[in-house]
Amino acid sequence: MKEIVVISGKGGTGKTSITASFAMLGGKDIVVADCDVDAADMHLLMKPNVKTEEDFYSGNAAVIDRAKCLNCGKCASVCRFDAINLIEYLYSVSALNCEGCGYCARVCPVKVISMVEQNVGKLYISATKADNMMVHARLLSGADNSGKLVARVKKEAKQIAQETGKGFVIVDGSPGIGCPVISSLSGADFVVLVTEPTVSGLHDLKRVYELVNRFQISAGCIINKADINQDVVNHIEIYLRENNIVHLTDLPYDESFTSAMTIGQTIVEYDHDKLADLLTVSWNKIKQILSKEQQ
Amino acid sequence: MKIAFTAKGTGWDSPIDPRLGRTEYILLYDEDKDELSVTDNREIEGVAHGAGPKTAQLLFDINPDVLITGNGPGDNAAVVLKQIPMKIYVGAGELTVKTALEAYKNNELKEF
Repeated sequence: MKEIVVISGKGGTGKTSITASFAMLGGKDIVVADCDVDAADMHLLMKPNVKTEEDFYSGNAAVIDRAKCLNCGKCASVCRFDAINLIEYLYSVSALNCEGCGYCARVCPVKVISMVEQNVGKLYISATKADNMMVHARLLSGADNSGKLVARVKKEAKQIAQETGKGFVIVDGSPGIGCPVISSLSGADFVVLVTEPTVSGLHDLKRVYELVNRFQISAGCIINKADINQDVVNHIEIYLRENNIVHLTDLPYDESFTSAMTIGQTIVEYDHDKLADLLTVSWNKIKQILSKEQQ
Repeated sequence: MKIAFTAKGTGWDSPIDPRLGRTEYILLYDEDKDELSVTDNREIEGVAHGAGPKTAQLLFDINPDVLITGNGPGDNAAVVLKQIPMKIYVGAGELTVKTALEAYKNNELKEF
């Protein structure tokens, strides 16, 4: 079983649209993992039918035992996040502001502050319209994605893939270069970098590739909207060559991306012409690279 | 020499865990005594952020001569691990502990 992670660094490059297309093309032979949990939207395209759901706990928040609290205010004085304030003459924790560092619990003279694990959302395992299983999550308001949640989503997806003998896990990676992205990348066999020919597209591609390279995972790149700025495309191509990144394909700027999205379809369902062909060729190329690596 | 492995299980046939920060176990092979010991790191699953530095701290305490793993440490874990003379070998992500040791002995793994 091979794990393919799609990331972009920059938002709005078409990462999820492309991942969902691969999820359609892979069909029965894959398991989908949506690790872009902060702004999970893969479910809009994959129409998952939820089979199991469970509450997910991550991170801590301070809770003061009101009955034993001396109301001395020491906790509030050390809190760096202004999460403890006097409300009606009593020190209280705002769970939304609390970062869970535990400093208050450490300094409390009567040890009545405990750190309580937070329910941050739900984890789902669903069947999609592409005849495959998908692991995804939904966060509650104010909750944030974490390496822990990403690791859990991936673990479930891999387990399903192993138990049911699937060839691939395809991961919609988290944005940026922080903890959730590192968790998205770790253990991956191949990374698909989706970029666009803009200054920030190239900048963020470089930034996220540094991470991929650090983990020594082989990578391929799709330049989306490749006809909007030839100059930056040239720069991207040089960068890909210098770093041994496979140039998978160029996709033209096409409003089908948006039109498909608004009716809840993937590109390969909506467009039966050029875009679908290019994406199919890319998907086959990725499979080919992975089967070669295995030999 | 003491050789550590990031692993998904506790024995020689266990697969290497390609992840360093979120590895489930750390196995330590003491060549002189011909002994394999296990450190359970599964509680890392409950850590929301900073898994890399946390496991690096554990390795710091175990203090092996060599670490064999898959992807290698991220930036934050690498800062911690630089403080000990341990050498890190990567690329064993698809091997078992046993075959990874053989690969290391045959100089087939890349030094990080």
